[in-house]
Amino acid sequence: MMSLPFLLFACGLAAAWTSRREAAMGFWVAGVLVLLVLFRFHATDVLNLGL
Amino acid sequence: MTADLSRLLNALGLVAVDTVLVLAFVDQLWFRDLPCPICILQRAGFIAAGFGIALNLIFGPRPSHYGLAILGAMVGGIMSADQVLHYVVPGTGSYGNAIFGLHLYTWALIGFALIVVGSAVMLLFDRQYEPTGPLPLRLTVLPLTAVALLALIAVANVMSTLAICGFGLCPETPGGYLIFNENLRLAVGKIS
Repeated sequence: MMSLPFLLFACGLAAAWTSRREAAMGFWVAGVLVLLVLFRFHATDVLNLGL
Repeated sequence: MTADLSRLLNALGLVAVDTVLVLAFVDQLWFRDLPCPICILQRAGFIAAGFGIALNLIFGPRPSHYGLAILGAMVGGIMSADQVLHYVVPGTGSYGNAIFGLHLYTWALIGFALIVVGSAVMLLFDRQYEPTGPLPLRLTVLPLTAVALLALIAVANVMSTLAICGFGLCPETPGGYLIFNENLRLAVGKIS
């Protein structure tokens, strides 16, 4: 699951290389959304800041 | 700024992003410093930012491509800032090796900030968006090599992340390449 953003970005770069700009940008959006979801799953610790 | 100069600067920027990602692999493989889950996501942030620069090189410079680079760098920057804040209080430890006195997540935060500033500055020059004729060879080889390298690094990260984390979420502190441990466990299970 953690490799999914890399896979989506790789697919996006392949789409861009074959001149499919809209598809490339679609893969980029999907990759960033997956990235944010994965960050949400992993950023669970409370920051150790005494504010 | 002409389109040619913009293309050259974008190519150099993407080479810099590629270099950061290659150095992350050097740290992982040569110095055996396995990346933590957030570190892996920061690598993806660099690829997301580099993606916008790559689109500039393939389709020509456009404001929307700089937008992707800035947004990708901001997403990655949030992750590295989160990690910096985890260890910013003295005595709370750190993760991984320090390079020139700073840990990789601090360098990553600096890198993401530079991408945001650099892309914002590049956005200011309108002449680069004017259509141009065929590009000279020197402005084709370097950009395409940089884009191909970014794609290769993305594929390499797919394999590396699968090896470290398997098909699920990563362990918070990876102790080794999970895929090998799983294979070993399965093999031992079959024998016994």
